[in-house]
Amino acid sequence: MSDPLSAHLKQLIVETLRLEDVKPEDIQDNVPLIGSGLSLDSIDAVELVLKFEKEFGIKIRSSEESRQALASVSSLAAFIRQHADPARLPT
Amino acid sequence: MYSSNHDSVRLAAWGCVTPLGDAAGTVAALLRGERALQAVPVLGREGGDPVPLALLGGRALDETAPPSWMATIKSRFRPVQEDGWGRPRRPVFVTSSNFGVGCLYAYRRSGDLTFLRYGALPNCVEWLRRELGWGESVTVYSHACVSAHLGLLQASRMIQAGLADEALVFSFDFLSPFVAGGFHALKILNADFPAPYQVRATGSIGLGDGAAFAVLARDRGDFAVLAQSLHNEMHHFTANRADGSGFTTCLAPVATAAAGRRLWLKGHGTGTLEAGRLECEAFARVFPGAPLVGWKGSLGHTLGSCGLVELALAVEAMRAGRTPGTVGSAAPVFADSVALESFANGAYDGVVCASNAFGGSHAAFLLGHA
Amino acid sequence: MLERFIQELRTDDPGPETPAATRERLKPRFAPGSTRRMTLLGMLAGAALGDLQPAGDDTVVYASAFGEGRALEDYLASFPTASPTLFQTSIHPSGVQQGLIGAQRSVRELFPHAGGRQLAVQALLTAMLAPAPGVVLVGGEERGTWLVEADAVSDRTFAYAVRLAREPGPAALGRLTLAQEEATGTLTHPAWFELLHHRRPFDGPAAEGWHLQLAWS
Repeated sequence: MSDPLSAHLKQLIVETLRLEDVKPEDIQDNVPLIGSGLSLDSIDAVELVLKFEKEFGIKIRSSEESRQALASVSSLAAFIRQHADPARLPT
Repeated sequence: MYSSNHDSVRLAAWGCVTPLGDAAGTVAALLRGERALQAVPVLGREGGDPVPLALLGGRALDETAPPSWMATIKSRFRPVQEDGWGRPRRPVFVTSSNFGVGCLYAYRRSGDLTFLRYGALPNCVEWLRRELGWGESVTVYSHACVSAHLGLLQASRMIQAGLADEALVFSFDFLSPFVAGGFHALKILNADFPAPYQVRATGSIGLGDGAAFAVLARDRGDFAVLAQSLHNEMHHFTANRADGSGFTTCLAPVATAAAGRRLWLKGHGTGTLEAGRLECEAFARVFPGAPLVGWKGSLGHTLGSCGLVELALAVEAMRAGRTPGTVGSAAPVFADSVALESFANGAYDGVVCASNAFGGSHAAFLLGHA
Repeated sequence: MLERFIQELRTDDPGPETPAATRERLKPRFAPGSTRRMTLLGMLAGAALGDLQPAGDDTVVYASAFGEGRALEDYLASFPTASPTLFQTSIHPSGVQQGLIGAQRSVRELFPHAGGRQLAVQALLTAMLAPAPGVVLVGGEERGTWLVEADAVSDRTFAYAVRLAREPGPAALGRLTLAQEEATGTLTHPAWFELLHHRRPFDGPAAEGWHLQLAWS
């Protein structure tokens, strides 16, 4: 079962990208987000980055850093935990 | 696959304006290794992260009503205001990616209705037409960073078909928070300054103001566009096919037309990594041994106008006998063919100039003496 | 005089149909899940063009006076945190690229026209001068919202796609000619669409210096 942050990230992914046929719980923690079964691409990636920057007050500087942070839900959660104010994380 | 060899035309006049000056002034500055890009807040008056932008002297990122750049166009580009442009036998081709969109942004932020006169694309074109004294025969192309190439190609075809005596291609793009904000949101315009074709961990672009014109004619002018080519991968909006085939497909007809010539190359080279690498490799395959330069590390990417701005600079470089190197970049680079330093070009028979755009769009032409 | 024959034609005029209804109507024409980032113009142009199957060496000429004006509205509204998706989508000629990229269908030459009073005739000229073996002229507009009053975006939605050929072939739908002449006229983009949609003939000045003839078989 996903932790609260990972669950929240999955919800944000589905809502932000308007993935009509995908439920948040269908997204696996360690499966690649970009180019995977979700068929997300680099434009989706930067749209998600924008959302996460607003949501958690983090800053992702470049497209290369976006790619690393968005490697999977797990890597994204780790990135956010590392850079965000803990008070902004779901409990 | 058909040949583009018939899309040749002579350059009766040309010119450009960048933050470094007119065509001759810009080439001289590039030869000195000068960089027009400076760190500017991405949202102009509203602040934001600093990003590398090159703005015409005295111009702010936020647009004015009417746009301040028109005064520069009118003072620097006398040939575009000559009598007769815009009549059916002397058509005008206007190319841009952004037109007056900075004014739409300003209207949205301020609510000032004055901006709308210049903001919407048809309004902007109509304003240009009136200010520059053109008739009704104005064709408008907008295809992001290959826009200018389309104007050149169709103007050439009109002249070759006997439907026009001469043609004016006019290309412009002036920055605004609309444009800078968009590229910043894509994470490719960030704090780092661009270094075209350089191997590094992070890619980044710069953006620049730019405008240019070319008067095309059948039999007047010392220089000529000798062949032209286009290709559209339609693979992805912001990525190219990983095998670089999009680049080589566009370059191949130009290479055929250039057979036997000793060439130098002016690439697109914005400073992004993957596209820069693919472009370098494609040029090296199709034109082995030809030195490759890119000038966006100094001027920034002038977007829809880049094809024509850089045509004017390439012509001036040939007239000056010296090609500016890839300003802003340092070793290591993606290919040995990348020329970081300027070099004498008198022994070369021409230059291939290329531009690329969103959607995997490619454009190239062969420029040489008539 | 330039002459071409209409081999295939698709038009779509949603009329009073809501944008949401148009999207639902067109969704089955695209791969599942692929329409989530598409604009209405992208779906309309993509559906029309998709039927005509442009090939790799073809030329596609795209005509839209206002392009992705509707996406532009949303992009402007997204500031100060500019949406990268809306930025990308608002850049001309996204309306025709969306469908072609979705289908992974490369084309040799793409000429996106925009703005201008002579849009329809200039787009036809581009199509008629293209040396490619196949030429498709595709166009359309999408109705905007808050920028309609300012004439900065279209006030109606429509799309079309026409395959043109140099020879009539066994079943040409129509014949087009463009000839230079001393004359003035303006065939607007919506008026050009009406000619195609209702298969009406035309014979007269359509732009300064150009006489257009459109006859249907």
